[in-house]
Amino acid sequence: MNRAVLRCLVFVAALATSVTSAEAGRSCEQRPPTANAVAQAMVLAERTAARLEQSGANVVVIARAGQNLSEYGLRYSHLGFAYRDDDGGRPVWRVVHKLNQCGSARATLYRQGLGEFFLDDLWQYEAAIVVLTPAAQAHLKAALVDNAAVARLDTPDYSMVAYPWSQRYQQSNQWAIETLAMTEEPAATTRERAQAWLRLHGYEPTTLHLSAFKRLGARVISANVAFDDHPNEKRFEGRIETVTVDSVFRWLERDGLGGPVQVVR
Amino acid sequence: MTHPVSQRAIRSFALRRLCAATALALTLASSAHAQSSISDVSALSALPIAISVAAPIAVLSAGAALTVVSVEATSTGAVWVLERASDGTRASVQLVGRGIAGASLAAGTVIACTALSTGYVLSAAGEAIAFIPNEIGRALLYNERITR
Repeated sequence: MNRAVLRCLVFVAALATSVTSAEAGRSCEQRPPTANAVAQAMVLAERTAARLEQSGANVVVIARAGQNLSEYGLRYSHLGFAYRDDDGGRPVWRVVHKLNQCGSARATLYRQGLGEFFLDDLWQYEAAIVVLTPAAQAHLKAALVDNAAVARLDTPDYSMVAYPWSQRYQQSNQWAIETLAMTEEPAATTRERAQAWLRLHGYEPTTLHLSAFKRLGARVISANVAFDDHPNEKRFEGRIETVTVDSVFRWLERDGLGGPVQVVR
Repeated sequence: MTHPVSQRAIRSFALRRLCAATALALTLASSAHAQSSISDVSALSALPIAISVAAPIAVLSAGAALTVVSVEATSTGAVWVLERASDGTRASVQLVGRGIAGASLAAGTVIACTALSTGYVLSAAGEAIAFIPNEIGRALLYNERITR
């Protein structure tokens, strides 16, 4: 190996390292938010709580716009379930959702207030809500208040673009719809069965068109992106299917499990 | 027949091309990835939350300028003693939260108080350093890790 090639390899290694640390810093750094961001998040949380109270619902699907995904034709980035609880005689709303922290390859389930749900670095301060049918609400509520039940289909291994019909990884939105399937179909006690139920009920994931460069680069620099769960024929053509908020919202209404999307700003 | 020199040159050329391609891919991915996450990579808020305030609540009013008198670490968070610049009235604020350990708040720091319908935001140089919820704000805050 001559000196020029060696220099080139060192350059690439240095570039990869700098990119990786920048990415890790972006998602893991405990940088305080601005006072303005806190104000906007808390206003949105308060308005969302008021809208949820007005809705008469006990359980809804709730989403936020954490990143600008307009290049993929998507508006929302992340969803969870919000349910009405009682805190010493006062109604409160809690969100159960799955969070990938620090750009790692693992994710964790959390129960949080609406304040925490929106106290992230949001792209747009707006919430989207879909009220589920009374029957679906009742089925889900029983699981949402039970930590063991809500974690039954959780897979900690995380990929941001997990394939919807594989059980190797599980991203946040995928956990949510598989858990919904489990509560709707008592026989869906495994992820495989929950996914079969979702197929049967016509769930269709979003297909993202990612170039080879983007796939290679994302895989090299991010621990939370993997493509090895996708079928080869789709992967090599750059067709990456994954569970997105927008596809879930379309499906819920189409399948009659939920109503139209309500936006809170 | 093989020509070792030529083969080395070819290998060298191929390696250089691979280097260039990889570097380009990393650069593209770096710029693309910043705005192409599909499911959120969520970092929990780093903001400490006040669980109790021992003081006349009037100390915390919109636009008030406060000075940090002392910072004391506790097993669950910290206690800050704040003094209103205008009349020297003091407030003791007990805080919990993941961000406290990283907050380098020193005595003498000047902090601003912003009033919201859900509580007060304390900030230093525009960065929020704590949230003091009122009853409405408390109903909106909760944090429990379900899985390990």
